Amino acid sequence: MGDVNLNKADDVILTMKGIDKSFPGVHALDHVDLELRRGEVHALMGENGAGKSTLMKVLTGIYTKDSGSIWYEGREVEFHNTHEAQEAGIVIVHQELNMVGDLTVAQNIFIGREFKKGIMIDDKKMIRESRKLFDELKIDIDPKAKMSDLTVGKQQMCEIAKAISHKAKVIIFDEPSAALTEKEIEDLFSIIRDLRAQNLGIIYISHRMDEIKVITDRVTVMRDGAYVGTLITDQCTKEDIINMMVGRVIYEDPKTKSAVPADAPVVLKVEHLNAGKMVQDVSFELHKGEILGFSGLMGAGRTETARALFGADPKQSGDIYINGEKVEINSPEDAVKHGIGYLSEDRKRFGIVVQKSITENSTLATLDQYMSGMFINKAEERKITERYIDELSTKTPGPDQLVVNLSGGNQQKVVIAKWLVRNCDILIFDEPTRGIDVGAKNEIYKLMNRLAAEGKSIIMISSEMTEILRMSDRIVIMCEGRKTGEIRIEEATQEAIMDKATRDIK
Amino acid sequence: MNGNVGALLCCFSGVDGTSRGFFERKQSAKSNLDPVGGKKLEKIKQNPIIKKLGFNRIILFLILLLMYAVFSSVVKGFASMDRILSILNYVYFLGFLALGVTFVIATGGIDFSIGPVMFCCALMAGYTLNNYGMPVILCILMSILIGFLFGMFNGYLVAFVGVPPFIVSMASMNIAKGLGSVFTKTQSVSWPQAADEAGKGWYRNLVKYNGIPTGLILFAIAVVILFIVMNNTQAGRYILCLGSNKEAVRLSGVNVKKWQMSAYVICGLLVGIAAVFFVGAYTTVQPGLGDTYNNEAIASCVMGGTSMVGGLASIGGTVIGVFVISLLQEGIMALRMTKEVQMIITGLIVIIFVYADVSARRRKN
Repeated sequence: MGDVNLNKADDVILTMKGIDKSFPGVHALDHVDLELRRGEVHALMGENGAGKSTLMKVLTGIYTKDSGSIWYEGREVEFHNTHEAQEAGIVIVHQELNMVGDLTVAQNIFIGREFKKGIMIDDKKMIRESRKLFDELKIDIDPKAKMSDLTVGKQQMCEIAKAISHKAKVIIFDEPSAALTEKEIEDLFSIIRDLRAQNLGIIYISHRMDEIKVITDRVTVMRDGAYVGTLITDQCTKEDIINMMVGRVIYEDPKTKSAVPADAPVVLKVEHLNAGKMVQDVSFELHKGEILGFSGLMGAGRTETARALFGADPKQSGDIYINGEKVEINSPEDAVKHGIGYLSEDRKRFGIVVQKSITENSTLATLDQYMSGMFINKAEERKITERYIDELSTKTPGPDQLVVNLSGGNQQKVVIAKWLVRNCDILIFDEPTRGIDVGAKNEIYKLMNRLAAEGKSIIMISSEMTEILRMSDRIVIMCEGRKTGEIRIEEATQEAIMDKATRDIK
Repeated sequence: MNGNVGALLCCFSGVDGTSRGFFERKQSAKSNLDPVGGKKLEKIKQNPIIKKLGFNRIILFLILLLMYAVFSSVVKGFASMDRILSILNYVYFLGFLALGVTFVIATGGIDFSIGPVMFCCALMAGYTLNNYGMPVILCILMSILIGFLFGMFNGYLVAFVGVPPFIVSMASMNIAKGLGSVFTKTQSVSWPQAADEAGKGWYRNLVKYNGIPTGLILFAIAVVILFIVMNNTQAGRYILCLGSNKEAVRLSGVNVKKWQMSAYVICGLLVGIAAVFFVGAYTTVQPGLGDTYNNEAIASCVMGGTSMVGGLASIGGTVIGVFVISLLQEGIMALRMTKEVQMIITGLIVIIFVYADVSARRRKN
């Protein structure tokens, strides 16, 4: 760092000015600016949903902008797809790698533009060219190796090599380090430094504060789809960045005091839960009548923790106690038997059967209680469904309505009804208000508060800071598969939560 | 649906509250986009009686009548009792096959082994009857048992082991063909004739007794029972729901593997019963055959509004579909065309209806 001349304006390779983009109901980008120079590593930071990915998608032609302009190498440009952007020299290295596992490294790098000898593919030339690329990058990978045999880190190197082979002038790294080991991260950084020395412009998206400090020259922070500011990395602290990331005014009243009495019994205790990479040694307690918020950034392992707890995914180890008694939960069937209900973040895929009626969805977890002999007691089934339509004020012409015809908020109510019919004492709400409009959101909040007041215990996973601060009695914070903190609502601030959610990785 | 024993007629016209067929879905998708167009049609479909019977099934039923009228006017003497009985003979066994596979398709799966398994059942039970002197009633049970075992086999592999239904049923199709051939030493098997002096021919009364199509009564009873299974029991509910969204059902704490397997077991049982009705009508079975019936059974399902993607199924629709295919086969024979012509038509029916279903869904999304 420091070797970048930050004053030379003609070094600017890319300028995005006043980029605006709306989706139905969401103002995703609100006149965002971004300036990237040659020979610079520029961090792009922000909370979940701040608009980083959307901005990059606008840049590379996946989304069309509503207004604003993109200047690249002194000309105004507009790309219509990633291919055009690639041709011009703007390449994304994705977090999820786009590689074909069964092909060789060389075949992957030149996929879609294979060298030909007559009608035959010239594998030898592709291998030669790949080797040249790797030498340039000082990477040690055999171009003849099968892609699926490489480690994630090596695969990423290949992705970078592929980007270089496109004569890239701007490379965007989207959370490149998430899946890498420390050694691999070091290798990655040395490559990035090389690229910087070759005067490429690099955009680096990451949540890891320590990496930002090490590798980037400038930081642009976004919040709620808007541009907040750009800092020179050397001259700012982690706190500065966090303050810019979270510095929003909270409109809804945050909870100031826990509604749970101090002596409320523990209904659920999870000890040393391990499930794959995303859930490592997670322990927590849930009290009766409590709303326990789970906060963290995307990929922190919150949903994975919930799914492991619920038995939806296999777990390696960990003990679960319900009302002080140790229980075995190896499938959702077990979890439901023990009175746990799970409302997935992805309603349509995991929550409801959209092609079926409200009635059929409401009794999905309870059908055995609505049988008379061998037959479903449709009258009883209908009665209970109508009761919950009423109680949750679900907007529908009747219980026979197909769930597909309901709005997001009302679909969510159907899922809630499913677990209330089951009389679950522990409810896991995973992103309960995702894709739900403001009015319905408030209704869901009221409902959750009511359920907690009635003695149900709730785990609420949320990526929305306002939601966490408004609803939780206590907050568990996770980062990269580990629990990094636990804060009582009385002490919770946005800064404190974000600090734990972006804990330095050492 | 009030009451568990729905009226017979109701079943035939296919009343089942939750399932909606292709015409209906296609239309509702259209009406979402364009509230003005198709207003008249929309009004007709909103009629409660039509809604209950299912618009597409009414259309299919009208097509059936039209086909009968056309065949009757083109072929001399088509409108005779003999013809009807002949059509019914085809309806019985194809009906059981199609109803069975309806359950499997409802889960989003497929079974290409039904035809050959039916033949395998008939061959093995018939061979035992002729060569080992086992009583007819036990042979009938044996046939059903073999079908059941094939259903268990398919269902276990699909639901618990996770092998794709396509592969499983292709494999068991070949196993069934091979098993039937090996067991009978590649001989065709003739079940006893009606006037068998040892009284072994009594089973044919299941199909026809004194000129009365008793098979139709038995088939009707089976349809009513299966209609109830599909719409009023846990098995049917879960089969339909998991066909629509298996993961959501699993996350509701339901043992989806068990219920997914049950669809194949139901199918297997019905295939075993189909075998009995096949020999009841035709007596002779040849080894190594049966796959043409797969297409005919699947065509009956998709015509009736059962979606190949799973989640939507109509017992009533399948029954009408079975009648359409059976009439078609009789008509084509009467027109002195070969079975191959019918195979072409059935193949096209499957493609057209599956395409219509897929495109209706796509428009809806």
